[in-house]
Amino acid sequence: MFYIHQTSCISPQQTFGDVDIKTLQESTEKKLNALEPNYEGIPPGILRRMGKAVRMGVGASLPLLQNNSLPDGIIIGTANGGKGDCVKFLNQVIEYEEGVLTPINFVQSTPNAIGAQISLLTGSKGYNTTHLQQGLAFEYAMIDADMMINEYPQKSYLLGASDDISLHNYYFEDKGDWYKKDNHTNKELYEINSPGSMAGEGAAMFLVNGIALDAIAKLVEVDTFQNDDEGIFKKRLKEFIEKHLPPNETIDLLISGENGDSRLSKYYSTCESLIGEGATVARYKHMCGEYPTATAMALWLCCEIIQKQFIPEHMIKKSGSVSAYKNILIYNNYKGVQNSFMLLSVNK
Amino acid sequence: MSRIVVTGMGLISAIGNSVAENRASLVEGKCGMSHLEMFPSKYTGINPVGEIKISTEALKDMLDAHEPGITRTTLLALHALKEALADSQLTVAEVSSEDTALVNASTVGGMCLTDEMYSDAQKETPGSEFLTSYDYGSISMYLQKRYDLNGPIDTIHTACSSSANAIMFGARLIKAGRARRAIVGGVDSLAKFTINGFNALHILSKDICSPFDDNRNGLNLGEGAAFLILEREEDVAGKKIYASLTGYGNANDAYHASSLSDTGEGPYLAMKAALDSANLDNNAISFINAHGTGTENNDKVESIAMLRLFETMPPFTSTKANVGHTLGAAGAIEAVYCILSLHQQEIYPGLKFQNPIPGTGLRPIEKYIQAPLNHIMSNSFGFGGNCSSLIFSKA
Repeated sequence: MFYIHQTSCISPQQTFGDVDIKTLQESTEKKLNALEPNYEGIPPGILRRMGKAVRMGVGASLPLLQNNSLPDGIIIGTANGGKGDCVKFLNQVIEYEEGVLTPINFVQSTPNAIGAQISLLTGSKGYNTTHLQQGLAFEYAMIDADMMINEYPQKSYLLGASDDISLHNYYFEDKGDWYKKDNHTNKELYEINSPGSMAGEGAAMFLVNGIALDAIAKLVEVDTFQNDDEGIFKKRLKEFIEKHLPPNETIDLLISGENGDSRLSKYYSTCESLIGEGATVARYKHMCGEYPTATAMALWLCCEIIQKQFIPEHMIKKSGSVSAYKNILIYNNYKGVQNSFMLLSVNK
Repeated sequence: MSRIVVTGMGLISAIGNSVAENRASLVEGKCGMSHLEMFPSKYTGINPVGEIKISTEALKDMLDAHEPGITRTTLLALHALKEALADSQLTVAEVSSEDTALVNASTVGGMCLTDEMYSDAQKETPGSEFLTSYDYGSISMYLQKRYDLNGPIDTIHTACSSSANAIMFGARLIKAGRARRAIVGGVDSLAKFTINGFNALHILSKDICSPFDDNRNGLNLGEGAAFLILEREEDVAGKKIYASLTGYGNANDAYHASSLSDTGEGPYLAMKAALDSANLDNNAISFINAHGTGTENNDKVESIAMLRLFETMPPFTSTKANVGHTLGAAGAIEAVYCILSLHQQEIYPGLKFQNPIPGTGLRPIEKYIQAPLNHIMSNSFGFGGNCSSLIFSKA
């Protein structure tokens, strides 16, 4: 359990600076590319060397580190951070036949570069780690932060995730049939009944600690499991709700990770049917696309919805019976196997 | 909360295919460096490496692992994991219980298939069997299926300190009640990718590396895997216990992307945090397994940081000249070496040392000795300033 105090997000939508999530930005060429800011806080010489995932991650974190004392630790989730630079370095290795190579891409290719660069730029010398369990990378960063805060309730941590579409991981995913072959835009993501989703990217950062006062929301619990069996999914979801939702309370809002992939829709419909009739169901993958740490965007949106008490029309799949949300569930299924539940609670 | 104890270990490296073979090699001061044989590279015959002389095909046969897309990295992990599980005598039900966590670490993952990855990253080519294998998480995904694991499963990457952090995270999962036992460790295999990367940074030695020696001129890459089984002391009555994990610290040097600060701030803070978490004074440490890569920067900075922290410097060595720098596996492999030292009450000789670094005067232990050892510290430092330190204590 921990409290979220500040948030920041760079995504394919207008989420950084002047936030406007009401207007839906459209995809181009079946991709949702992030709207990147000018990154004014990053020295230009350093910015030039950063790969996109590092750039977005560092850029999203800086607003949270300006007016505060440094966080006591930095905990990052990324599945593909640095993969763009990996392949750039790989190209050098092959194309120059292992000749004289420049090490910049090699140094930037390590996924820990996001957390490392934040440390370097801010002089933050505390706990620093990077989780990369594919579609659960951000969830394990959250579990890490949760345990840290239980161990040290007065300390604050920068928790976040960043993943980018590099040309190369796009091909890996596309060849693996994880993107729709049909020509479509993000507005039609849920309407085309076919396998695959749309490529996306983004970074979201959170300042979290154990202090309830003035928090945006409380993260009650995050849980994960890796299994594609529907029976196990039902069992795990029921257990999660029974264990963590207070008695006589209901899930008021479900932030569903539905992504238009016909192979995964069974998990999301089962989830909707299990959480109760009254819940509002909102979707977000048409805003950011599918990528392994998209749940960080979901968590950011959740905090935005709580603060503004407003859900854009384009997110709503089903309107529920309550308009003030106390208990919010974020459910995600990545590629059928990697499942995660997050329960947030808001003090009304 | 009862202590976290180690009840099983598995290890494969250039100096042995099991924990027992590794110990025998360490006792006799065997150097596992050789020339690269398992794949063609321009650097074959130039830079010594700590290579495991079993082909990928032979590993597949030995482990009965012929699934499409399986990589050498995954096979090495499986080899070490299999030994660790057998050693711990966990039952099949315990291994696949929701209470058993797996925390792996790797910095190479499936990128050992450098040429295949290059081909799959081109637009025109059809996907190969390895499309889902390049990812760092592909190893734990395979191990999960193979052993029907149902607990928390994570992969950590903090460069060369990755598996020290995997061990730490596994212990914290147990302490937080998120797991009852944890399989923790790391793996990396040699790859054209890393050989060229470290070569581009000019930190690969053409000689066998000489940790803490004044004339050291770089590191040797190695490959290997190691896993530990961590359990709560209260759950293991009657089982053999090798050692307990009593302290861990993680800090960032916040200085440079690929080198450590002159004052060794990150290493100092990591070691200090480990002592604090173990609730030990610095004079309680009987021995240090140093990171000691043999690079100009690391060994000097690590010496400075150790001298800052310890009023009386404990005996220390580095095992990088035995097995090479195994990157994401180094923290786990060296954890096994520390635990063997505690369990057998012996220190293995550091190799290739001649003259101390001026100004530090530090000399690693050069001969096999038996000594009473109570607490051993193991250091791992990585690119990005990621520094970690672990403390293992006598069972």
